[in-house]
Amino acid sequence: MPLDASLLVQMLLGALLGLSVYLPLRAGQLSLATPGFYAIGGYTAALLSTRFPALAGDGALYPLPSLLLELVLAALIAGALALAIGGPVLKLKGIYLAIATIALVEILRVLNLNLGFTGGATGLFAIPQPFEGPVGYLLLSLAVLALVCWLCARLERLRLGRAMEAIREDELAAACMGLDTARVKLLSFLFSALVAAVAGVISAHFLNTWNARQGSFDASITTLAFVVFGGSRTWLGPVVGGLALTALPELLRPVGDLRLVVYGLVILLGPILFPQGLITPELLRRLRWPFRQTSAEAPAP
Amino acid sequence: MIGARALGLVALLAALTGCGPGADTKPLNLSAGLPVGAALSLTGNANVYGQDQQIGLRLAQESVKGPGGKPVALRLEDGGSDEQSATSAFNLLIEGGAIALIGPTLSQQAFAADPIAQRRGVPVVAPSNTASGIPEIGSFISRVSAQSSVIAPLSIAKALELHPGIKRAAVFYAHDDAYSTSETTIFQKALSAKGLPPVTVQRTQLNDQDFQNQITAALRLKPDLIVLSLQAVDGGNLIRQLRELGYRGVIVVGNGMNTPNIYPICQKHCDGILIAQAYSPELDTPANREFVRRYKAAKGGAIPPQLTAQAFTALQVISEAADRLDRRQPLAKLNLRSARAALNSELLSGRYQTPLGEIGFTADGEVVQKQFFVAQVRMAPGGRTGRFALLN
Repeated sequence: MPLDASLLVQMLLGALLGLSVYLPLRAGQLSLATPGFYAIGGYTAALLSTRFPALAGDGALYPLPSLLLELVLAALIAGALALAIGGPVLKLKGIYLAIATIALVEILRVLNLNLGFTGGATGLFAIPQPFEGPVGYLLLSLAVLALVCWLCARLERLRLGRAMEAIREDELAAACMGLDTARVKLLSFLFSALVAAVAGVISAHFLNTWNARQGSFDASITTLAFVVFGGSRTWLGPVVGGLALTALPELLRPVGDLRLVVYGLVILLGPILFPQGLITPELLRRLRWPFRQTSAEAPAP
Repeated sequence: MIGARALGLVALLAALTGCGPGADTKPLNLSAGLPVGAALSLTGNANVYGQDQQIGLRLAQESVKGPGGKPVALRLEDGGSDEQSATSAFNLLIEGGAIALIGPTLSQQAFAADPIAQRRGVPVVAPSNTASGIPEIGSFISRVSAQSSVIAPLSIAKALELHPGIKRAAVFYAHDDAYSTSETTIFQKALSAKGLPPVTVQRTQLNDQDFQNQITAALRLKPDLIVLSLQAVDGGNLIRQLRELGYRGVIVVGNGMNTPNIYPICQKHCDGILIAQAYSPELDTPANREFVRRYKAAKGGAIPPQLTAQAFTALQVISEAADRLDRRQPLAKLNLRSARAALNSELLSGRYQTPLGEIGFTADGEVVQKQFFVAQVRMAPGGRTGRFALLN
């Protein structure tokens, strides 16, 4: 059966990356920087767990407190970088912001390839395992995803979330109403960085190895596809997109040589048949989804 | 209501993940033959290698016999060219009850997928991983592909022997590729050891098509030996551009270009390049003559490349070891876990007459191979096909 625990972990990590692209998009900002922060998370975990024997503990398994330390440190580094570059970069709009964030991903990739301590193109390997098997990773990533989803659902009702939506709909009007648009956009960029960094930490342990290929331009496009496919109007969209598009190549294995052709067709047909993505607020309202959808329930007065 | 949904989700996940390591205590299923799994790069940028390997496995499946004279039940899965696909393919094959695994194609994929097999106690024979540190992943990991530090220096020595007047060496490598960066270090050390520290080291990227800048920069320094650590597609293009821009000196290439798939890329310009190989089709042993005969019959007279021979060897080693083990201790009576462990120790202790010559393993799982070769590419008139001609 191809749908085993370890594929589920990859799917949940895909959903987290989808959410990381979705968060700036909520505020109308097309940022493709997610793989950059994901790589920072991965390298933080890989370096800490392979280069500092003090963290590894005495037992067969890598201690959970050390994993927690990696998560916190990765979030701090990614958050600091997001705050530092977010200010100038978020002054750019639309496609220009996308290009600037691609440049960030590329800069980080070239740095990781050439800094001595990141292991060059081979990367870092023999990353210790905090869990016996994939089920531990499954529970951890499920918990993280549930937390992030809950926060995103809360965000849709909070003042900050509504401010993000206002900026997405019309930035000029939102600024005229007295919203500090720069601050709101920066916060959405920061949230995106934190989610991606946390996903990177889990992913590095799960993959046993980390290298510069994990945070590449290709990954930017893949994660963007999660959101385009799943829908960018509610948090459930990128989650469904991330889960589905990560699982699909594996579930299509019985198709044989043509599986990537079919996968490509699905990605192509998705936006043609569902231009708003699979999950839209209208769909959720029809299905009586229990979480309130602000954009659907509260039309402009 | 939300709580109930969450509980339902957890129950669903638990049901989905229910079949776990428990499968290991099932008896080994030999009904269709010895169950061997292979995960090769059939898609992605490493697929040129995966295609060569796939033929090798198919030929081995036809010619070698597993325990009881039954053919091997080979299950081939696409390992893609990234870490995630290789991991998924390994998981799938392990759950499917494979007694041993072959793959993955790239060393970086091996660093991700091999630890999974190691933890589950499944022997892995790597047919093409040449990075250092692969057998060190664990006791169940071995390889039939000699690492580049052993092979690469041979071609430099041969180039200097054929052209003793060489004074200035230039080096090219793709700085974003793991194979390329690790092999170039070995080439550069070998050059320095021969008193020829490179006059320039040019960096390219794996997906580059146009190398004019790097080539012009290098040719300005008038090199008479150029050493490339590049993969098939970028390396083939770079050689074509080197010759078109007027370079007439010696070219030495690394293991990444060790495939006939370079001929259509650099065509007549491939002629004369030197390469060190872990396999020569001209090796005159019964095992290799038989392998070459089968390959020629299957591919309309073409000459087998190294990756095909190594993939063939990987499956041959596994089935011969299983056969030996079965005679001593019938495999059908063992459960999957103990069969895997027994096969691993049998595999590492044996010696094998393979297309690569006689090989064995160190206790770590590193291949012990007697002969290595240096070949020169000779293109046929017209520049469409060619061959790796063995140099003595």
